[in-house]
Amino acid sequence: MIWTVFAITVGVVLLILFEWPKMKQNQKKEKAAFVTLTAMGWLLAILLVFFPDMPGPTQMIEKLFKPLGKLIE
Amino acid sequence: MIEKGKISAFQMALMIIPTVTATAVLVVPSVTARVAGRDMWISPIFGSLVGFFSLFIVYQLHKHFPEKSIIQYSGDIIGRIPGKIIGLIYLFFLLHSSGIITREYADFIIAAFLPRTPMIVVMGGMILVCAFTVLSGLEVLGRAAQVFVPIFMATPLLFILLIPDLKLENIVPIMEHGMMPSILGAVIPQGWFSEVSLISMFLPFLTDCEKGGKWGIISVIVIILHLVIINIVCLLLYGESVTSYAFPVLNAFRYISVATFFEHLEAVVVIIWVMGAFIKISVFYYVLVLGTAQWLNLSDYRPIVFPIGFLVCLVCIWAAANGQELGRFLRSISPFYIPSIMTFIPMLLLLFAIIKKKMRNKRQPVPTNP
Repeated sequence: MIWTVFAITVGVVLLILFEWPKMKQNQKKEKAAFVTLTAMGWLLAILLVFFPDMPGPTQMIEKLFKPLGKLIE
Repeated sequence: MIEKGKISAFQMALMIIPTVTATAVLVVPSVTARVAGRDMWISPIFGSLVGFFSLFIVYQLHKHFPEKSIIQYSGDIIGRIPGKIIGLIYLFFLLHSSGIITREYADFIIAAFLPRTPMIVVMGGMILVCAFTVLSGLEVLGRAAQVFVPIFMATPLLFILLIPDLKLENIVPIMEHGMMPSILGAVIPQGWFSEVSLISMFLPFLTDCEKGGKWGIISVIVIILHLVIINIVCLLLYGESVTSYAFPVLNAFRYISVATFFEHLEAVVVIIWVMGAFIKISVFYYVLVLGTAQWLNLSDYRPIVFPIGFLVCLVCIWAAANGQELGRFLRSISPFYIPSIMTFIPMLLLLFAIIKKKMRNKRQPVPTNP
């Protein structure tokens, strides 16, 4: 498990090293968006490693649309 | 504008066709047969009404705001903050459905051909290829569609080799229980048809805008033909037992045997299908990346391509615990989920836009020359 976390972190660091030099000095907003999205991805990946059965977006949508879904089940 | 590339209306149509059919051909025959029985080949025709409807709505919205995509004009129509919320719902839907599509692709490849490969390799490989396509921009995506989609569209021609196995008596009696079963069977294909409204992101980049609507209609008609042919062949081949197959079209190709040496055509068919799935995932991924960049008012979408690809991979793993759960979701939830985002939200936006225009005209009457 610790190795999976390690591998994910290495992947994320490689992603940052690959993408960071391409962005220009004045692209502040792009840098912020990039960092936020990458951090979200990294956090979610770590969470999924430890809690693989976490209820996800599919469960949320299923709860929302269940009354309609029953009509054609 | 963020995207500097331009595509033709014809390329747009070629991108939209696999966006609907690539995953629909996998499950639609067996799922519609469950409800419609022998009349399943009529269902895609009824389902296409939703496709035409969403096409009409999106095209009307495009006429009101010719230079903008749905993420941008939702803010103009209902105000900045509600527009951002609608944009966020739309982006969440795109992220979730890109994940689900990638999952369907990976599940199919693993079930059919690579049973021992871990899912993350199948899925990661596809996302990586799509990421490089998205990174190269809209023009490259359009060209890729121009190369791959004609081959993808030609697969039904291979059904000619199946003619000796087809039993025509499976199709009669047509409409034994009236129109109702085929209309109920259309509930599931119409979800896929409403994905046509993704063209709202491509219409601003057309070189020949006035042809956009025409090619949209042509692409919906091609999709209907594709699905109807596939449903008819599955029906003639299996009869009503088509419901018991997870991937009936793949199994249909396994039947092909010409002079006992021309066999195992399913390998070729899967190669061709992967091209279609590649275009489908790329289109969703591209729309997601461009939409996110527009939502955040970025000047360039390239920096966020890889982080979003990473998120799509995670949602793909997260989306469902196993194939059965995903199948149930696609059968019972997604026929309501997809149209509610792809058709219903644009419809509300169009209504608001029309009402707003009427109010403005009433307040400032058009000056008429005496």
